[in-house]
Amino acid sequence: MTKRSSRLILALAAGVFLAVTACGTTHENSGSGGGQQAAAGKCKGPGAKYTIGMSQANVAEPYRQRMDDDIRTAAATVPQFAVNFADAAQDNAKQVDQVTNFLTQQIDLLVISPNEATPLTAVVKQAYDRGIPVLVLDRKVDGDAYTEFIGADNAEIGRQAGQYFANVLLPHGGKIAELRGLAGSTPAKERADGFAQGIAGRNIQIVATQDGDWLQDKGEQQADAILKANPDIQAIYSQNDPMAEGARIAAINAGRPDLPITGIDGLPIEAGGIKAVEAGRISATFVYPTGGKEAVAEAKKLLLDCQTVTRTQTLSTKLVTKDNAAQVYAELNRG
Amino acid sequence: MSVELDEPVRERRSEFLPALFRFQSLFGLVLVFVAAVLYSPHKNGQLLFLDSGNLFNVVRSISEIGILAVGMTLVILIGAIDLSVGAVLGLASVGTAALLVRDGLGVVPVVVIVLAIGLGFGLLQGVAIATFGIQAFIVTLAGMQIARGLARIWSGGQAIGITYGDRPGQAPVAFSLLGERTFGGLVPIPALIFIVVAALAVVLLRVSAFSRHVYAIGGNEKAARLSGVPVTRVKIAVFGICGLLAALAGIVHAGRLNFGGPNDGGGYELDAIAAVVIGGTSLTGGRGSVAGTVAGALLVGVLRNILALRNVDANIQLLVIGLVIVLAAGLQQLRPASVS
Repeated sequence: MTKRSSRLILALAAGVFLAVTACGTTHENSGSGGGQQAAAGKCKGPGAKYTIGMSQANVAEPYRQRMDDDIRTAAATVPQFAVNFADAAQDNAKQVDQVTNFLTQQIDLLVISPNEATPLTAVVKQAYDRGIPVLVLDRKVDGDAYTEFIGADNAEIGRQAGQYFANVLLPHGGKIAELRGLAGSTPAKERADGFAQGIAGRNIQIVATQDGDWLQDKGEQQADAILKANPDIQAIYSQNDPMAEGARIAAINAGRPDLPITGIDGLPIEAGGIKAVEAGRISATFVYPTGGKEAVAEAKKLLLDCQTVTRTQTLSTKLVTKDNAAQVYAELNRG
Repeated sequence: MSVELDEPVRERRSEFLPALFRFQSLFGLVLVFVAAVLYSPHKNGQLLFLDSGNLFNVVRSISEIGILAVGMTLVILIGAIDLSVGAVLGLASVGTAALLVRDGLGVVPVVVIVLAIGLGFGLLQGVAIATFGIQAFIVTLAGMQIARGLARIWSGGQAIGITYGDRPGQAPVAFSLLGERTFGGLVPIPALIFIVVAALAVVLLRVSAFSRHVYAIGGNEKAARLSGVPVTRVKIAVFGICGLLAALAGIVHAGRLNFGGPNDGGGYELDAIAAVVIGGTSLTGGRGSVAGTVAGALLVGVLRNILALRNVDANIQLLVIGLVIVLAAGLQQLRPASVS
């Protein structure tokens, strides 16, 4: 009895498999072709419709959710554009599959913020070689098989933060602590190196450095320990806003509610750094732009206007203090 | 008279129902496949879903989870669980990249060493579980942390990129076969490895005494022991196989992405368990099949693919996959006890 039914199942499975392979072979070469002239091949002018694929590394991070939102908002003003969003949830393999799905969908332009560079390089090159323009946001890929990289300069932001300490917070020098992001991550290193350059020769001493892994609770723990060991520090440089918020709680607990603490990122959302500056929890922050709006502008140039774009677009930061917080928040949300 | 008339009808029904339950994921796969064809977006008059490239992308995308799920099926059949496979995959991918790039070893020694590490890791967990009687959940939860820690130590906390060539610091070109290369111009190599592993496992569970022992232990461990099944040895072997397959999946992962990532594979153990559950294997052990698991993994892959091709929101995709798992588990509850 079971034998017969299992044979039936087997036949069914074979049928499905045959159907799969049979249907498959007809469109074997679809989508290939194209070439290195990425921009030229896909530009059909303002009269055509375009599908843009946006491959995001992980929307669980507020910064990346905001990047998607910026793209959505900017693309909504371009009637020719439809954007397909994919979220890799921090999984390199999943992101590769999602870009592959975009290729199946025959998208006209790829925007990608890679989870990590090396694993995404091959599939991005595959898209680029098919003549699809590729805009890479925030994190790079290896090699040069992409159209344009759009991102902020972490070292420069660190440098400006350092100069803010040297010129505004501690013009006569002093002792400070640094809360770093995840050890081994590129932004953590660049924001630290830039900051060191910014305060060089200004008599500012970093007496304590700890890794807060970009997280608020970890930042609070580390700031707790720092304030116990070094009660004489005069300010804290945090490499992002959530850790700065954590450090503020630690400072209040240590009886130092007015300790100057600066952050980086300045996300223009309710739970973001700009609102925290406005509320006085963070002394200052530096906007780390998502590049979403810029990506849509470049897509317009490439697809609608048939123009070329620059290879690298470095986005500039902006210092946010209590004085301009409300204004910057409004500006960044105007779209 | 009337009894004779009724007999064939009842016969047929009693054949169909068990078959439906036993191969629920295969029926589910057919359903989802048909739905995907009907639901597929068109472009220039062709169905994107049925594009041959797309169908093999589906198989390639589930190849790693599929390989893990085959090992997981054996573990779950004996009524245990292995939470370490995702971390072991990460460890194996780091090991593959480190041995190829930093130590300059050839492809064959690298594959042998990495598989041996996975096998050894699994066997050790098996010994802790079977010989010392610690719960599998606890042992493999600890194993997950240990494998992740080892991966980070081995890699120095940074992912190791793999480039191909003859110079020192480059991996042999042969290893790049796992990447974009295809067998016969169509079948991706990772998909081929998955198919071979699944076929071997199906055969193993059909013909060997090992298979009877696995089902016996899952059905009733005490009874199995009393009737002479070498329970301890079989359990250790099952965890060894699961570790070995996790390492194999890690090698595939490294080849597919050209890199070894110490944090990669996080959560893959849950995807593998989901494939097993959708495949109709009971988490209490003793009931289920590798064929069901393969169909379960394919079902999830097809579902993910068609949802992506239709641009269904990522959050809705999570809901859909979750509902499918619940549905599959619910079907198992309805399954008559007589269906093995």
